[in-house]
Amino acid sequence: RATSESHLPGSSAAMGTGTPPSPSGTAFEETRLHVFTLDYPHVQIPFEITLWILLASLAKIGFHLYHKLPSIVPESCLLILVGLLLGGIIFGAEEKSPPVMNSDVFFLYLLPPIVLDAGYFMPTRLFFENFGTIFWYAVVGTLWNAIGIGISLYGICQISAFGLTDITLLQNLLFGSLISAVDPVAVLAVFENIHVNEQLYILVFGESLLNDAITVVLYNLFKSFCQMRTIKVIDIFAGIANFFIVGIGGVLIGILLGFVAAFTTRFTHKIRVIEPLFVFLYSYLSYITAEMFHLSGIMAITACAMTMNKYVEENVSQKSYTTIKYFMKMLSSVSETLIFIFMGVSTVGKNHEWNWAFVSFTLLFCLIWRALGVFVLTQIINVFRTIPLTFKDQFIIAYGGLRGAICFSLVFLLPPAVFPRKKLFITAVIVVIFFTVFIQGITIRPLVEFLDVKRSNKKQPAVSEEIYNRFFDHVKTGIEDVCGHWGHNFWRDKFKKFDNKYLRRLLIRENQPKSSIVSLYKKLEIKHAIEMAESGMISKVPSSGSLSDYEGKIKPLSPTEMENMREILTKNLYQIRHRTMSYNRHSLAADAGEKQAKEILIRRRHSLRESLRKTNSLSRERPVLA
Amino acid sequence: LSAFSPHSPVTSEQIEHLHRRFKQLSRDQLTIRKENFDSIPDLEFNPIRGKIVHAFFDKRNLRQESDGLADEINFEDFLTIMSYFRPIEMNMDEEQLDRFRKEKLKFLFHMYDSDHDGKITLQEYRNVVEELLSGNPHLEKESARSIADGAMMEAASICVGQMGPDQVYEGITFDDFLKMWQGIDIETKMHVRFLTMETIAHCY
Repeated sequence: RATSESHLPGSSAAMGTGTPPSPSGTAFEETRLHVFTLDYPHVQIPFEITLWILLASLAKIGFHLYHKLPSIVPESCLLILVGLLLGGIIFGAEEKSPPVMNSDVFFLYLLPPIVLDAGYFMPTRLFFENFGTIFWYAVVGTLWNAIGIGISLYGICQISAFGLTDITLLQNLLFGSLISAVDPVAVLAVFENIHVNEQLYILVFGESLLNDAITVVLYNLFKSFCQMRTIKVIDIFAGIANFFIVGIGGVLIGILLGFVAAFTTRFTHKIRVIEPLFVFLYSYLSYITAEMFHLSGIMAITACAMTMNKYVEENVSQKSYTTIKYFMKMLSSVSETLIFIFMGVSTVGKNHEWNWAFVSFTLLFCLIWRALGVFVLTQIINVFRTIPLTFKDQFIIAYGGLRGAICFSLVFLLPPAVFPRKKLFITAVIVVIFFTVFIQGITIRPLVEFLDVKRSNKKQPAVSEEIYNRFFDHVKTGIEDVCGHWGHNFWRDKFKKFDNKYLRRLLIRENQPKSSIVSLYKKLEIKHAIEMAESGMISKVPSSGSLSDYEGKIKPLSPTEMENMREILTKNLYQIRHRTMSYNRHSLAADAGEKQAKEILIRRRHSLRESLRKTNSLSRERPVLA
Repeated sequence: LSAFSPHSPVTSEQIEHLHRRFKQLSRDQLTIRKENFDSIPDLEFNPIRGKIVHAFFDKRNLRQESDGLADEINFEDFLTIMSYFRPIEMNMDEEQLDRFRKEKLKFLFHMYDSDHDGKITLQEYRNVVEELLSGNPHLEKESARSIADGAMMEAASICVGQMGPDQVYEGITFDDFLKMWQGIDIETKMHVRFLTMETIAHCY
């Protein structure tokens, strides 16, 4: 890699044949014009980044070639293995440690896209229903783990046989705090494939997001304590206050920027093409603003994404919405892949110090304290929950507490001056991460099947189901009102009213109060219409005007076209008659298929109504006939 | 409270809460009528308010053998209705859970089936959907009706499968209703936590 220009002093004679000797015969030789040059340093940084990302993506393709592999071994494991391989190659080739994942790169560039993706597509209703439990696990659980691991490790360090007596209590507590954080990236990577029921998923995943606040606080707290000479009681109170500021501050920044983003998109209807940009810019802005104040960036970006989601969805065009969705998924996928590969690469090298006792007891304590913590906390929180958590649930929650890249980066950030045994910490963290990602990651799927944990049922959405659910919500709210009980439904209702009265009017452009029943119905109607078109039934129907521009037979629609049509119609059903297509640089032309699908839809609704009218009249007439 | 006990514990604390609430609603009378429900402010905004109030006076829910509507209900009846919203207990066995679930679903079924004939016909279903969407001023009645039609078609396809061109789907019977709710664990969702009730929510 150390090459630069291939131009060497001697070669100019070979290339430039007619070199006149310099008049004064000095040592200075003129460089001739080069036919071909290689200038690597000029492009080094973008070139390497591109190569890394390309490698990551190619690795991903490789895994999916053998289709059974991703179901047995989660992708994260495979990516770490690839990273290890790469690290080994680099180490072997250059005899020095490969580049360690830069913590700044991780926290500023790689982590935000993943959290944004997760926050944007988070099922908000389920999240808020379980908010108390999630919060409880995140805050108290992490505290419990951190202090428990710290103190027990300190106890182990006191045993002089292990050679660890120079590690102080504070250092142990700091180590405990950074290793107890459940990692959202790892959780996502593993839980993605096993499809447990949504409630369980949201508990583990929500915990991994919310515990960022407490991890940040504890980490900084203990790090400062390690560097301070005396610790006063006031410092501990400062730490507690800091926690509230970090958590609440992060969330507030996120919500504020989320509203600003929603407000901005209200005015973007003339420049649709850059709408997705706003979503990404504002969310990233919330993250780095929070980081600037040392608040919790993860909570900020999550809050921003959740706030933005509802309003932006209604303001942006269909195409922008699709773009946002896909771009977000792409970014987060790339980030995740890179993170795991880097973890593998960074493991190889001379950064390690092995100590059997420390490493094995760390692992043991992590597992024990996690299991104990979940068990004890669940007993307490079950009293307040409407649906108590069973042992199976608790087991999965405890087992799903995976560690990942966050603790990895945090341990690299430790100042070596204050932590002479830093290498030992690094080794221990790596062992724990590998254990959780590999062993727990691989075995969780068979365990879920063995324990017969309730899985998520992805069935076809039905209008009647939506109607039942809504009906039921209202019944429950009504009964709660009769009892005078302020339950979850009460607060949700209140928020909805506030939302409808103020927020939606402010943030959404053409405010039509939406009904989930209606939108679902529209979606399904369109699906029927498209199915009819696909099966060729439409071609037999005599055309009328608008179909005439569609020449010849109907060709079967490709899935993407269908998807497009479906979504466009869902969004614009009420505006179909008002919309006029025009093309200019800032808007995109509509599909030719849209007109046809509109025709299909109207026809379908008529036929449906006809058939039911017939049915109804028949059933009414039957008693007379009988 | 003998009618209550086979379906067991609402604790005495909860009964006291509910009693206080009952007295508030009935203005210290022994019975309540439909008009008393008008005094609950939040209930006004509920689109299916009519059906909810109706459910309280529906004799089928009050476990009386007769049919039709009662004019007024006393505290015992009030409790009977509330018992449909009890949370499940950890120590229930399969059979009890099943019975529990059926009871709750029967309560919901009665709310749909307004003419008490044991079937939810298309007209009743349309009625339900119209009421549900009544809170939305932008929605035409036409759309509500077509939604109900679509839902009824779905129900028909789930319950009866493929229908011939001459077959007529009369209406959703209780068994069909059970089939449709199969995937949803209603027994865990359909409860109100009586423990933390506040009689802060005032009536006019």
